[in-house]
Amino acid sequence: MLVIKGLHAEIGGKEILKGIDLEVKAGEIHAIMGPNGSGKSTLSAVLAGRENFIVTSGEVFYQGENLLDLAPEERARKGMFLGFQYPVEIPGVSNVNFMKTAINEKRKYLNLPPLTAAEYLKLMREKMAVVEMDNSFSGRGVNVGFSGGEKKRNEIFQMAMLEPKLAILDETDSGLDIDALRVVAAGVNKLKKPENAFIIITHYQRLLDYIIPDIVHVLYDGRIIRTAGKELALEVEKKGYDWLINS
Amino acid sequence: MTPQYKYTPEIPEPFRCRVPLPGTLQAFLMNGVLREGLSILDGRISLSANADRGFVLNVKTGATMPETLQVISIRDSEGNGPISYSNTFQFGENSLSSMLLCAHTLTMEEFRTESELVIKLDQGATASIVLMQNEHNLSSHTVNFKIRQSAGSSLKLNIISLHGGLLENIIDVRMEGSNASCELNGAYLVDGKQVINTMVNMHHLVPGCISRQLFKGILDNESKALFSGKINVAKDAQKTEAYQANHNLLLSRSAKVYAQPHLEIYADDVKCSHGATSGRLDEMALFYMRSRGICAAEAKLLQQVAFVYDVLEKIDNVHLRDRLLELVESRLRGEFAHCANCSMNCC
Repeated sequence: MLVIKGLHAEIGGKEILKGIDLEVKAGEIHAIMGPNGSGKSTLSAVLAGRENFIVTSGEVFYQGENLLDLAPEERARKGMFLGFQYPVEIPGVSNVNFMKTAINEKRKYLNLPPLTAAEYLKLMREKMAVVEMDNSFSGRGVNVGFSGGEKKRNEIFQMAMLEPKLAILDETDSGLDIDALRVVAAGVNKLKKPENAFIIITHYQRLLDYIIPDIVHVLYDGRIIRTAGKELALEVEKKGYDWLINS
Repeated sequence: MTPQYKYTPEIPEPFRCRVPLPGTLQAFLMNGVLREGLSILDGRISLSANADRGFVLNVKTGATMPETLQVISIRDSEGNGPISYSNTFQFGENSLSSMLLCAHTLTMEEFRTESELVIKLDQGATASIVLMQNEHNLSSHTVNFKIRQSAGSSLKLNIISLHGGLLENIIDVRMEGSNASCELNGAYLVDGKQVINTMVNMHHLVPGCISRQLFKGILDNESKALFSGKINVAKDAQKTEAYQANHNLLLSRSAKVYAQPHLEIYADDVKCSHGATSGRLDEMALFYMRSRGICAAEAKLLQQVAFVYDVLEKIDNVHLRDRLLELVESRLRGEFAHCANCSMNCC
């Protein structure tokens, strides 16, 4: 589904990613761990298409297509989703309007007619239940006045609405209390299917108690320095990153 | 054989709005001349022409307008040269009125219009007035609002400036009776070389009145917006509340905003504030929307509509608000802004 080969990227002349190789297949959950400043968020931003990061070399293929040629909205319509570490507030644009526009743009791309108001409402209610989100959120401005936990729930709600093939969750667990963490993890687990894949970027092992990864990578200084099974997360939790960095 | 001729004189069809909103009563002001007068509720509400140009609206004491009264001002090739006229709105004691004023240009000539709106609210009168300006680039239109409010009266004036070469709204409000309230809201959309000038002079002359002003604009290309707002609180006008805000969204480097907020306060027990800002679209919000599959153009549009919606939502009439929202959206899309299902180019 996703193949990354020798990816180098920089921002403002500073190289952050220094040769990333990664392959994600349908049905897999990958966890990317690493200390602060290792390049985790840069990797997710580059994959989603943020324009201020410049790819200096390397290739990324998504479903056989050159991902780096696609605009952010094209990536999204082709089934990619980025859960933001810091979800953005958009005053004046209601959650309902935002998601309705997003869904209908995707449907237009897939040559499907736009959802009727009733169909949309039904879908929205169903997906809000997945993340135990209150209906009153729908009329409010996107993320405006939401607590940290509510913002992250909103990310998972959006993911549930858009049903992506590949979801990248960037530190979705940061700043979450244990209840919100449980809700977010349950949302991810409900959406897991054999035909889609997840990349979970996280700082701590905590989230991985709820979402069991198939493969764990440790990113350090712009490179993946270790790849192993789920036991690697536990080892990192116990010993920290130093033993990997120094080995 | 003598050919048969049929006499068919060319009588231009009088202008009509083909898509009136539900619950509105329409009147037409052609180049400043009222086409026909109106009398509602046994003459307790009347609209009559001035001798030369302009009209007088008279709402008698205690009368309630059963419908919104819409006055459509048109300029076309029938009225040559610059014109000026004065309209008077007289809202009697404890009356309740709702007005919609539309200003359009029908034919592509250079128009210069100077209109005066004398608005007088007697004690306890309530009036809601929406002015929609949609004129072409060769039009220059100055509107002088002269507003006087008596005790306990309440006025809400919303100005939606969609299009026009040079639009000037000069608003002078005198709060002459205590406990009156005045709300002024404006949204302006300018592009190309368009200029919009808004000048507000809010005089709080007596105690206990409230005024709120919110003006928001979006500027593209080489357009200009000028905003000069003054709140004047007289020495005796204690317990005054007066607020003013002017916010601008600039879409190009060459668009310019000149904002001049002023406060002149001579009383010592008042709540007053003013604020003026200019900014651009939020890059992070655009990326966020794009990452959900919304194309860049649509994401920009959503942000712009959200920006001016603060003003539109002040309009209480839902039908009118929705109609104006559609007009704003098509204007921001760069399409010609006209009402849905109407082929007339009222601009």
